[in-house]
Amino acid sequence: MNPLAAPARTLTAAETDAFGAELDALRAETLADLGQADVDHIRRMIKLVRYTEVAGRALLHFGIGPLTFAVGTTALAASKILENMEVGHNVMHGQYTWTGDPALDGARYEWDIACTGDDWRHSHNYEHHTFTNVLGKDRDVGYGFLRVSRAQRWRPAHLAQPVGAALLALLFQWGVGAHDLHLDETLRGEQSLAELRRRGAPFAKKAAWQLAKDYVVAPALALANAPRVLAGNLFANLARNVWTFAVIFCGHFPAGTEVFPVTSIENERRGDWYLRQLRGSANIEGGRAFHVMTGHLSHQIEHHLFPDLPAARYPALAPRVQAICARYGQPYCTGRFAHQLGSVAKQIARNALPG
Amino acid sequence: MLSRLSALPRTAWSRLFLDRQAAFWLAELSPTLAPGERRARVVEVIDETADTKTFVLAPGRRWPGHRAGQFVPVEVEIAGVRVRRCYSISSGASAPGAATIAITVRAVPGGRVSPWLHANLRRGSIVGLGDPAGEFVAAPSSGPLLLVGGGSGITPILAIVRDLAARDALGDVVVVHAARAADDAIGAAVLAALEASHLGLRVIAHRDAMEGTLDAAALLAHVPDLAIRTAYACGPAGLVALVAAAGPAALHVERFVAAPPPRLQDPAAPVSIRLSRSRRDITAAGRGSLLEQLERAGETPKHGCRLGVCQSCRCRKVSGIVEDAVTGARSDAPDEDIRLCVSIARSNLELAL
Ligand SMILES: Cc1cc2nc3c(=O)[nH]c(=O)nc-3n(C[C@H](O)[C@H](O)[C@H](O)COP(=O)(O)OP(=O)(O)OC[C@H]3O[C@@H](n4cnc5c(N)ncnc54)[C@H](O)[C@@H]3O)c2cc1C
Repeated sequence: MNPLAAPARTLTAAETDAFGAELDALRAETLADLGQADVDHIRRMIKLVRYTEVAGRALLHFGIGPLTFAVGTTALAASKILENMEVGHNVMHGQYTWTGDPALDGARYEWDIACTGDDWRHSHNYEHHTFTNVLGKDRDVGYGFLRVSRAQRWRPAHLAQPVGAALLALLFQWGVGAHDLHLDETLRGEQSLAELRRRGAPFAKKAAWQLAKDYVVAPALALANAPRVLAGNLFANLARNVWTFAVIFCGHFPAGTEVFPVTSIENERRGDWYLRQLRGSANIEGGRAFHVMTGHLSHQIEHHLFPDLPAARYPALAPRVQAICARYGQPYCTGRFAHQLGSVAKQIARNALPG
Repeated sequence: MLSRLSALPRTAWSRLFLDRQAAFWLAELSPTLAPGERRARVVEVIDETADTKTFVLAPGRRWPGHRAGQFVPVEVEIAGVRVRRCYSISSGASAPGAATIAITVRAVPGGRVSPWLHANLRRGSIVGLGDPAGEFVAAPSSGPLLLVGGGSGITPILAIVRDLAARDALGDVVVVHAARAADDAIGAAVLAALEASHLGLRVIAHRDAMEGTLDAAALLAHVPDLAIRTAYACGPAGLVALVAAAGPAALHVERFVAAPPPRLQDPAAPVSIRLSRSRRDITAAGRGSLLEQLERAGETPKHGCRLGVCQSCRCRKVSGIVEDAVTGARSDAPDEDIRLCVSIARSNLELAL
């Protein structure tokens, strides 16, 4: 059941301001409360990343038989997921920069994935979080090749998008990594090859090292176990790709999320910005471990309202955000993982066809 | 090509995240092993007076050594936030990799760091240390000296006297040790012991409770040959001013309390902004965020969302007061990061732009 069936009430300017002020107050209250527990949490997560990585790699390198292979690969995949989502994504948002710990500095953190930290800070922190779901401005709406809303113009190429989406799921880190290169613009002749090369150089360098790490150095260190280590790394990367794809697609594309025309952000007030973040995002329900494994992107709504608050705060903020939304007659799109995922699949299939 | 090849191990070290792995696992083994950070272990805590403690620190192999009279930035984590304060090293000079150094801290009532150090540091605690610095150092051949310390300001004086004693260079040294009362005088016993064993050292213990605050006449009565002495003074502003006015041959001063923050101004008042990286001075006027003011003045600082969301415009404020346009929170301490797009200038500023 998606409680989002009820359409959003249109707010007056005064109501919009009041709505924004309530969310501002929630943010200020949380900021004032940040402290040891938040740092302890992220350090625990970093510890988990390191220990699961070592455990996973050790089982792959020194283990024999399918059981240690499966456990090792799972541990390595979990480590990569946690590093990318709960640690990397959140630290790079500046959620922990207030600690003054150089290891938690959002402007300097480099995550363990093909996408460069700087590309991400630009395409995600700035473009996506500022222009969320605005057609023509937020390049995350369908990532330049998927039609996820009827508001996007249909092209015959969209007929193949169910296959395209499945491929993107498998290769997600490469999609993310190439996102800020604006490849689609070069294909359409809107960006020169030279500009593409300039944008692409840091990505190419990082990608090469990432490939070397998992597919050359790690297998080489395993000597006779090299094929096993290579396979384990491959499966772990695939699992991480599919998982992050699933979580992220559930964040903005299930039924009940809206996209916006460019005109909607002209003279946008702070309250309007909050409303757009809310209406463009969707949550996934689940337990504590599930939320952590999604980097708390299962609380996509809270994340888009408060991208610089430590993500582990979102579960406690969620009921209060939901209550504010209810008072202002605003929808709050949430559902179980299977439901949201099904909804995304339906959107992709439906929008492959014209109309 | 060759230079790229020779850089390969270092590049690989960071590109394969081995730097981060090493930092993590070394810190897991022992906090003092964490690379890139100098961490010291507290080996002893000594009660000096009711509100002052000496912390003896083992600064580890990475300690660069220091000259007597210098201070060291000390970093601790309080409620998840790293904070730094400078403390004069109260022990004598140290060599690189020295076994121990000491700092002597008075708990400032209502202070953020010093009461925390008193309450939380015990044997085995870990603190971060910056690089020792400061020019409040006495060359052994400085001729006749006058060393004046008041309150907690006696700490660098103690260091200098200890150092001169260790070098057997206490030729003609007068120490004026001002304190509120006898039980408030940090290091009085140390000074008395050194005076007893060194003919060239004379210690004048001035206690406000008995004699009132030190004045010019009393100072000159204690040190009639003040004019020929090179003076070192550290303590309350009044005491330092007194020494300066008495006219020593030369004067070196150490200040514990930072210059007061600049005057708070109306958000609409024009402010001057020093851009320290590009070495430009501009005047920012008119309402709006610092980002808007900078742009109006012809600057093009890096920025993104203009909403306080994306952190692209985060930069270091070296000094001055700004206010967060959304939360109203003020940043008035030096060397804090601010986001230009949601900061309102409330005083003259220096930015690392
Ligand atoms: C070069 C240098 C050397 C120093 N050496 C020593 C030292 O050897 N021993 C030592 O105890 N301190 C020393 N200090 C002072 C120390 O760095 C801190 O400022 C002090 O411990 C107060 O920090 P806090 O966080 O507790 O107080 P804060 O929270 O920073 O300040 C709280 C309030 O106390 C006032 N205040 C700050 N310092 C003092 C002070 N010393 N006396 C009275 N009021 C103050 C502030 O203006 C503020 O209003 C030194 C400072 C400098 C710059």
